[in-house]
Amino acid sequence: MAALATGGATPSDGATSFQRKVPASSRLAAIAGTRPSVRHGQLLLSSGLPSLDCVLGGGLAVGTLLLIEEDKYGIYSNLLFKYFLAEGIVCGHNLFVASAKEDPADILKELPAPLFDDVHKNQVDEKETAIKSKQESQESMKIAWRYQNLPKMEVSPAASARFGHYYDVSKTVSPELLKSIKWHRFFLPEEMSLHPEIKTCNMTCGYTRLLQSIQRIIYQEGFDGSYPQKKQKNILRIGIQSLGSVLWGDDICCTDNPEDIFSLTKFLYVLRGLLRMSLSACIITVPAHLIQNKAIMERVTNLSDTVVGLESFIGSERETNPLYKDYQGLIHVHQIPRLNSLICDVSGTKDLAFRLKRKQFTIERLHLPPDLSDTVSRSSKQDLAESTKLLSSGCGAMAIGKKHLDF
Amino acid sequence: MLGELVAGATGGLVLIEDTIECEGRSLLKTFVAASAHRGESVHVFGFEIPEEEFRAGFDPDVTVRLLYQDGFTDPLRWTGEAGGFSGEEFTALGVSGQLARGPAGPATVVLDSLSWLLLHQPLPTVCQVLGRIPMAAASAGLRVTRILALLHGDLHPPGLVETLRSLARAVVGVGPAPEGMGSGGDAPRLASMLQRKETGKVLEKEEYFTILAGFTPKALGEPTGSVPRDEDTDPHSTADPTANLTFNLRLSDTERRARDGVPLPFHFSAQKKSSLLEASASAGKIYYEPDAADDLDEEDPDDDLDV
Repeated sequence: MAALATGGATPSDGATSFQRKVPASSRLAAIAGTRPSVRHGQLLLSSGLPSLDCVLGGGLAVGTLLLIEEDKYGIYSNLLFKYFLAEGIVCGHNLFVASAKEDPADILKELPAPLFDDVHKNQVDEKETAIKSKQESQESMKIAWRYQNLPKMEVSPAASARFGHYYDVSKTVSPELLKSIKWHRFFLPEEMSLHPEIKTCNMTCGYTRLLQSIQRIIYQEGFDGSYPQKKQKNILRIGIQSLGSVLWGDDICCTDNPEDIFSLTKFLYVLRGLLRMSLSACIITVPAHLIQNKAIMERVTNLSDTVVGLESFIGSERETNPLYKDYQGLIHVHQIPRLNSLICDVSGTKDLAFRLKRKQFTIERLHLPPDLSDTVSRSSKQDLAESTKLLSSGCGAMAIGKKHLDF
Repeated sequence: MLGELVAGATGGLVLIEDTIECEGRSLLKTFVAASAHRGESVHVFGFEIPEEEFRAGFDPDVTVRLLYQDGFTDPLRWTGEAGGFSGEEFTALGVSGQLARGPAGPATVVLDSLSWLLLHQPLPTVCQVLGRIPMAAASAGLRVTRILALLHGDLHPPGLVETLRSLARAVVGVGPAPEGMGSGGDAPRLASMLQRKETGKVLEKEEYFTILAGFTPKALGEPTGSVPRDEDTDPHSTADPTANLTFNLRLSDTERRARDGVPLPFHFSAQKKSSLLEASASAGKIYYEPDAADDLDEEDPDDDLDV
């Protein structure tokens, strides 16, 4: 769709010669890095991962909240968090980074570097010369020779005009790119030491301060439309790391009966209100595996828009299982919002797995081969109980059991 | 791996978790001795055992570097004597104030034990203080390399222990080892270690160890691993479907060459290919040869309709 909108592409470029005539007046107010959605007419942002955008139905809508349930060691959720912020840098959005554990400046320094067209093309050329079978296709084709003279269509990640970019995890973003955007910070230990006395309004102190900070930034920078004469609108990308963990002052991770069980849910309620009335989108990572009371996670899911859970294979018995050897973990999409519609865009597949290579984080359908063993065994009861304790949806579980039932 | 951890491979919060079956204070003292031998000053905040008992067994060069904050004698500050340390003083500023009294340079903070603090203060407060100690110390001009904390795992609800494990850089769980292992030194024990590196990699290992006199660790090898898992993974690890078949799926070289030489259907000669290619280089053309039954009437049949 983005290719069609670029008018003036001549046939010799390799792109299709179809051009879409759009009168300039009917174009939506073009904010960098967004595109309108065909399904519900909202403005969509990229979450930083093109494959996650596909799973979420095109992207993240402006004004919504993306909640990520962290995996056990927080490695991959941190990566998704960084991708979201890095996408904001490449598109020129404003950033607001909040954390109780790491200094936001350190988080920004470690963001992955974006991959642009020419860099990727060099890599592609190197890979092609290395593989022999690729060389054949550049010579005369044996079977598909009618297509020999047609120009090659390259599907490569392009520069910032496209929607969704690729990032190289092994390199960090250049400081010049960081300086070019405007960003705001919230580091809880700093805030606590700067303003030690503050009245807590029936919420955990850390959450109150964070909400006040977000509200102040939205108002001051005009993201809620309070300065109509501002010519160039921009999006505010908010990232909150590890919300609900003990470092924010909340004890839902330690006990079954926390002191203030509704603190986190109140925070999310107010935050979603702030998001809806401004041009912003928010990503939050929550250590769901530590939260003792399962009812809290259900309420948190209801109060968020998009909820994605990550389950990594590190430390579990699936790490050594050869069936999962290509993947690093599973992704569970728990909720997709219903914006301006009665149904949401849930894809049929429930088994999604992710793999992380140096330059790409891809989300794919998990294909388990059929069980070729001689004995048709069913998973025994203790395996089932174990798998329901984990985040796994259970439908991808293999039918391996120590005991098997013979019928 | 235990030797590396003791030798200071990781900074940040190092948690030593013990249970009633197997105590972990001797392992804590091992870490302390190693830190002192490396030249760091060790600040011990003791709450559970008296100072003399903690200092017992150390070499003289270790005890020189040991700065003990006594929280055991008078924990609630009833006698009002100076020189003690109470639970309420465990804030970032309080701790860094005590650290500032020691020599400058790298310092290790030892909490004996964290469980005592958790019984007197809520967990979020304690965790926030633990996170702020390095920062507060840095602003006072000190460098805290690591914080060693002893935690009694069975005193706390599992959620609390899990939360602390997720905050710590390295966790060493101490448990009893089966009889008959090793010789000399203390009773052999099993250490389950979890280490998070800065790169994000997570390492998990189990080792048997024992502690010799003078608090040096001695590794005794690793457990053999759980056996039942092998039965299940065997049918899947040998998943090579092309082996053991009654028909041949592989090609020898001559067969491969013969296969390449077979002409494919619709495999035209070179001239016909090039003529077809040239013709189709322009926009697509439609070649239509009318059949005998086709009616090539140019008039529009709909003209007759009276609509």
